[in-house]
Amino acid sequence: MPPQQYTAKVSDSLEYNQKFYSITFELVEPHTLSFKAGQYILLNVPGTEQKKSYSIVSPPSLDHAVELLVDNTPRGYGTRYLGSLRPGDSVSFLAPVGMFGIESQETEIGQQEKALVFVATGSGISALHSIILDQLQNKHDARKMVLYWGLRYTQDSFWIQEFQELEKTFSNFSLHLVFSQAGDDWTLCRGRVTDCLSVHPMVEYAGYYLCGNGGMIKEVQQLLLARGVKQEHIHHEKFF
Amino acid sequence: MSDQPVPPTAPSASLAEGKKYKVTVLRDKCIGAASCVAIAPKVFQLDGEQKAIVISQNELDDMKLLAAQSCPTAAIVITDVATGEQVWPK
Repeated sequence: MPPQQYTAKVSDSLEYNQKFYSITFELVEPHTLSFKAGQYILLNVPGTEQKKSYSIVSPPSLDHAVELLVDNTPRGYGTRYLGSLRPGDSVSFLAPVGMFGIESQETEIGQQEKALVFVATGSGISALHSIILDQLQNKHDARKMVLYWGLRYTQDSFWIQEFQELEKTFSNFSLHLVFSQAGDDWTLCRGRVTDCLSVHPMVEYAGYYLCGNGGMIKEVQQLLLARGVKQEHIHHEKFF
Repeated sequence: MSDQPVPPTAPSASLAEGKKYKVTVLRDKCIGAASCVAIAPKVFQLDGEQKAIVISQNELDDMKLLAAQSCPTAAIVITDVATGEQVWPK
């Protein structure tokens, strides 16, 4: 599906905490978007010709709107623009863009991936959210899926209830939260996502899908390669 | 809005040949985000150091410009071949 220019209107915005919120754009023209889970949009920001990329949070089954996840803290012009938008405001963007996504089962690499391990830090969860929902709910993928999601503080977390509901509904899915600055009351994984990954048993014949900042991706890649995972089974989308 | 790129599915005839603009990558600024590769894979690819390199100029000028405008670190420079003028970053 080649990218094309879209116009849309802000239909909803939901603040999760001081750091993260989601914003939903209802498509106007064209009024539907066909995309692959993991792809992103290039948002036009008034006052600059530079485009800002945001992964699509919603699954492809929602084709009349796109939901984005916004990290408030960088305070770049894209964040400031999105923060200024109100319901009904118009936006424009190019979509769909990007090649990140689950390896097709029609390829040799895809066929070798008997399980899927997802690793995200911060807002890197956005693309993986779309992918996980798509694989579980739409594609009925029965392969074992494990999500490692690293955040700084416990109060930064959100979507936990949604992921826990997925764990209950789909026995092949499980979540590991990792907090780098957790309080004493947090008894599970703490530190970097690599700290958690390195003490857990390896998931056999897994494809790894990494989404987050460049430092995390490099560290996880090094860890996985050292533990015998082949490069072709390490897929990533670098956030910046 | 003046900042909207021409949709790549309907490029203007004057830019459709892809010979007006030349792209170069400022290697020191590239962080390997690969948005350029996603938009113009015929022009860019990542090398072994996860830095973007130019493999061809054979792409619509609109797509070259869009790829440059999507780079988060403005590491892609677009030059007008005829005039030598730097088109992006401005």
